Amino acid sequence: GSKRLFTSPLRYPLYQLGNPQLRIFRPNWFLTLVRPGKEQPPDTAQFRIPMEMTKCDVKNYLEKIYNVPVGAVRTRIQFGSNKKRNHLSQKVKQPDYKVAYVQLAQGQTFTFPDIFPEKDRTAAEGSVEEMQEKFLEDEKQKQKPDPRRGGVTEWFGL
Amino acid sequence: MAARTRLPLLFPKNLPPFRNQRLVQTEAAAKDPAYPPIVPSRTAKSKSALRRQVEEHVQKVRASPVEEKLALITRIQRQKFVVYPQTFARDADRWYQHFTKTAYIPGLPEKFTRGQEHTGGEEGSPPAAAQTTVPGIENDAFADIRSLISRVILQEHWYQKKRRPFLFREQEHMVGPLLRNLVSGLTYSLAKYNPLLPLCSLDVNPQVNFYWSRGQRIIPRGHRSGRLEPTRFQIDDHPHTQIRITQQLPEFAPLEASYDAEVPEITLAPNLMPMFRRQYDNNIFTGSKLPDPARYGHTQFHLVPDRYHRDRMARQQQSDQVEVFLRANGLASLFAWTGAQAMYQGFWNYEDVTRPFVSQAVITDGHFFSFFCYQLNTVALSVETDANNPRKNLLWGTESLRLYESVQDGEVVGLNDSVIKLLVQFLMNQP
Repeated sequence: GSKRLFTSPLRYPLYQLGNPQLRIFRPNWFLTLVRPGKEQPPDTAQFRIPMEMTKCDVKNYLEKIYNVPVGAVRTRIQFGSNKKRNHLSQKVKQPDYKVAYVQLAQGQTFTFPDIFPEKDRTAAEGSVEEMQEKFLEDEKQKQKPDPRRGGVTEWFGL
Repeated sequence: MAARTRLPLLFPKNLPPFRNQRLVQTEAAAKDPAYPPIVPSRTAKSKSALRRQVEEHVQKVRASPVEEKLALITRIQRQKFVVYPQTFARDADRWYQHFTKTAYIPGLPEKFTRGQEHTGGEEGSPPAAAQTTVPGIENDAFADIRSLISRVILQEHWYQKKRRPFLFREQEHMVGPLLRNLVSGLTYSLAKYNPLLPLCSLDVNPQVNFYWSRGQRIIPRGHRSGRLEPTRFQIDDHPHTQIRITQQLPEFAPLEASYDAEVPEITLAPNLMPMFRRQYDNNIFTGSKLPDPARYGHTQFHLVPDRYHRDRMARQQQSDQVEVFLRANGLASLFAWTGAQAMYQGFWNYEDVTRPFVSQAVITDGHFFSFFCYQLNTVALSVETDANNPRKNLLWGTESLRLYESVQDGEVVGLNDSVIKLLVQFLMNQP
């Protein structure tokens, strides 16, 4: 079962001709869909996956659980930096993680959505925030130089 | 001169005119001060100096003979993307079209489809069994070729008992000899109808290399960060067999017709494809060295290896990538071959081709045959030369067509005549 697989270190049992096919039920793995740092082709989605997963695991996971047609999977391991030091001068390690680039099949495309859209921040009428904003705006306006001088500084003239 | 007051004893009565006015009108114009031309420095640390160095290098390459041109162009080794014609990457044909500025046109050029239309019209009256409209071939010769092909197929699959080959060597063992025998048999039997073929050179497992640069990027990190670097590519191809001829094949479509063709634009870097960079010798090679008289290409034959066989792709649910793979293979191989042919004639990035270079290719995995025709209209693909270049290269290609159904009891079942006709037409192509 899957318990034997995840005791350290992970080793899938060796396959020899005639062995039953390896099946994993209820895997304890979770994928994280992330926004790509560098621009990717439109059919590529980027995931952070647990270190124990392989390319075939990712493909089967997405196809069987989420019905996503997967064309090709490429993985790499990102080294987490060990450079920073804390107040005791000890090195602090950021954890390593594995990244999978999944190319979708059947001409499907995917773009990572915008999760933090810009909102217009206008305060409600007659509220405290509106009065504060107006006050700050007036203060800023007082700091600006006289527009009648046409951009010339106060250093010149009377 | 006024100081001279003593006149000579024999003072002439008529002095020669304009003695003291030395040809006023004529000499002043020719006596312009000649300064050397004002050009930017060659060795200063400035952009104009760099431009001058580049310009001088271009002039130097232009002025040298062909061997030196090739040597100067491929002299400096730098990191380059290695383009594999047979690749596992998805949608490789779109990427390759962008790298080589090629437009894909489905179907074959008019030269080969004219024959197809005639058979369509004549189907009505006589039976189409022995009808052939390949110009220059009579029915007997066509029947000979049919029997040759069935003989070749039977030899490999029926008469010769083969053991089960080692892992992933099936195509090499089963289809490799078939294709070799097919090509040599067809070439020899068509030699009396095509005057080019007796003088051709049939290469077995030749090498074809090409090196070019297209596009640029800003170097992100390192001591050269912020500067523009051209992206360089190299193709190292090993077609199964190829035929090289002494004269050039005529063009399939005029140069101007390519101006309207559409080439897919991809703004992303090639390493997302995925494609990998390496640094090694830059080679440009057609299949033989420069002094060889057979320097123009006719047809290449490629074998689909086990890794990209359609059965294996079907097992991995990637059947749609089979056609993509064939197109990418035809495109890259033919671009490399025609580009190398053009380089051998002295055309390079800053001296664009004056006439289109044309070649053909047949890609097969034993059962299915795909036919490709390539016309190289431009070699000027780098950033500076591509800015005002309306020319595009053209690739015509078919889907894969089945040659025969199967081999049963010493007979080839379901031999497809149209595929044989296309093969014959391809090999009969002559100026």
